Amino acid sequence: MNRLRRSLKHSLATRVILSTLLLSLSVVWLTGSALYSRLADGILATSLNSSLAEARYTFFNAEYQVLASQSMSVADRKEALAEFVVSTSTQGINEERREVIFVKTPGAPTTANSYEMSSNVIKNSSIPKDLRAKIKKDSKLHYTYGPARYNDGERIDSLFVGQRIIIPTGGRYEVYIVFSLKNQTATVELILNSLLITGVALIFLIGLITWLVVRQVVRPVREAARIANQFTQGDFTQRMKVVSTDEMATLAISYNEMALSIEEQITRLEHLSRVQQRFVSDVTHELRTPLTTLRMASEVIHVQRNSFDPLVARSSELLVAQLDRFERLLEDLLEVSRFDAEVAVLEPVDFDVIGLINRCAADFDMGGTVPTRDIQLEADEDSVTINADIRRVERIMRNLLSNALDHAEGKKILVSVLATDTEVGIGVRDYGSGLDESALTRVFDRFWREDPSRARVRGGTGLGLSIALEDARLHNGELDAWGRPNQGAHFVLTLPRKAGELINSRPIKATPKDFHQEAFYQ
Amino acid sequence: MTLIMVVDDDQDLAEMLGIVLTSSGFDVDMVSRGDEALEVFRNNPPDLVLLDVMLPGIDGIEVCRLIRKESMVPIVMLSAKGETQDVVRGLEAGADDYMQKPFRDKAELIARIRTRLRRTNSDVTGLLSIGDITIDVTAHEVRRGAALIQLTRLEFDLLVALAKDPGRVFTRDALLSEVWGYRQTTDTRLVNVHVQRLRSKVEHDADRPEIIMTVRGVGYKAGGAA
Repeated sequence: MNRLRRSLKHSLATRVILSTLLLSLSVVWLTGSALYSRLADGILATSLNSSLAEARYTFFNAEYQVLASQSMSVADRKEALAEFVVSTSTQGINEERREVIFVKTPGAPTTANSYEMSSNVIKNSSIPKDLRAKIKKDSKLHYTYGPARYNDGERIDSLFVGQRIIIPTGGRYEVYIVFSLKNQTATVELILNSLLITGVALIFLIGLITWLVVRQVVRPVREAARIANQFTQGDFTQRMKVVSTDEMATLAISYNEMALSIEEQITRLEHLSRVQQRFVSDVTHELRTPLTTLRMASEVIHVQRNSFDPLVARSSELLVAQLDRFERLLEDLLEVSRFDAEVAVLEPVDFDVIGLINRCAADFDMGGTVPTRDIQLEADEDSVTINADIRRVERIMRNLLSNALDHAEGKKILVSVLATDTEVGIGVRDYGSGLDESALTRVFDRFWREDPSRARVRGGTGLGLSIALEDARLHNGELDAWGRPNQGAHFVLTLPRKAGELINSRPIKATPKDFHQEAFYQ
Repeated sequence: MTLIMVVDDDQDLAEMLGIVLTSSGFDVDMVSRGDEALEVFRNNPPDLVLLDVMLPGIDGIEVCRLIRKESMVPIVMLSAKGETQDVVRGLEAGADDYMQKPFRDKAELIARIRTRLRRTNSDVTGLLSIGDITIDVTAHEVRRGAALIQLTRLEFDLLVALAKDPGRVFTRDALLSEVWGYRQTTDTRLVNVHVQRLRSKVEHDADRPEIIMTVRGVGYKAGGAA
């Protein structure tokens, strides 16, 4: 039932076929029953006229017999009447069976001699009551239809025609002639059966035809839907077939024109974006060679700084530092342009994340100008092996740690690692200045800075977190941020343990375990 | 004096490299075109080649292939393109190492050059063997039976590193530190490409290695003695 309802809702073909069937069923029903009643009535009417004529003649004969037998003895009269009944009745073949019944009118005075008689094969009680009532009332001829019950148990639809007859000294009697309608009933039944069979066949054929026609219309519609769907999936080469000149063809032609136009637009945009990406990449590459020369030159100068005038010496320091920054910016820009052009590829290998985190933390300890001895690691296991792009994971960790160090205000940084069978979560928690609601929504934006006036402690490029997010997503992973003003921040990286798979859960939640909402708002 | 050949079409960078290398005590030969590099190389064979990828004439990767055909000299590629394909192509053409422009600092450049020039594994002497390969560390020769196998210095170092500690599984990081002298790097492509190249020279069938075995998910180890 549900399937049918769903089919009705989703399939135009089912709907059209079903409504056509319902409509044609009612039309066939109406015409069929009209035809049937007309035919049945006609057949009965034809036999009725001849039967009535015959009946009148018989009744006349009966009256004549009665008159003619007025002078006879009772026994002779009975005999004559019996002879009349026998001669008027036809027996033998069922179809043209005709019985004659003499029966005393109920309520009439009883006489010594009863002239009740019949052809004896039919039961007197099978004469319909209402017919007898009518005949009792007047002397006209009456008739009705009804089943005649025979002595051998047979019931045959028959026409009962009756009239009153007075037998002198005998009293009031009724004469009935029972015409068997077996023949006519059979004909009517034949017509009914034929009508039913024709109707069923007609409905079946109409259904079949509708199905064929609907298929002709629906098939190209379905085909069009399939092609449009593939187009939506990104296969812009899909076109509809134009095989005729009908409305479907018009639709196909319009659709194809639209598809072509969209494809051209996309190609144009792709080309533009390729040119743009190529330009960014070329610029970055072209900048690298002079930057190399610059760096080496600045170092040669820098090494000699002790022999310079203090102002020149300081300038050389600034030169070296700014070249560093310039280079980092260049690298980050190149990476961003790779993500934008969607040419960034994963190169997964198996490695131990905890080892990697320790190495990154150790590097910060050694190289930083800020004291960073407070990076603490919290992990249940000694090593967690994952399959991922180690270069990218390392970059994410460096970005997260460097970001945390920038905002930790000298407080400790807690790195937690929690692995399930399929995911690994890495949380970097600081207890520094934190982030407010609006900052959280923008923290991964390119070149976004929480407070433009704040000093840049480590001289980040402003692209670190957005690259980290892209790196995480390239792994089908996620990078979540949490923060509260003056309560610190928590960045959580979730990666699948096997490259290419999806993450189903977050082993570490963004809201840190050591943050209590109630305490915060008190 | 140690002679270093610098092939770079950027005059200023080449000059700067010259200044830095000279001040570190090297002799420098400068070439600005790819198609001139081979001739200069033949006329005055250097101890090490610094080779830019993008060169007029023929590109650095082709130059690398041509030099490698006739010499086992250490080659370090200089690349402005950090894309995987360029790096791998350079390594496959026979480069021992690559440096991406701009270099971290000049100390890094000098350190890389010195690593490529020094004899590694100076603590190991005598004969080593893996499978049916014999390594004469002192004479710097590798043989299968009587046949001499030509290896670059880096390939030799890689083979010795594995052979001197048979059975030990080396992670790629460990090999990078031992053979290339990197304190920390995560570019394991260097190891992968060189292992492939070494296998193509020492293995009977590089697809079914018996000398340098891969330990899945960890790294490499020397195969057992035949």
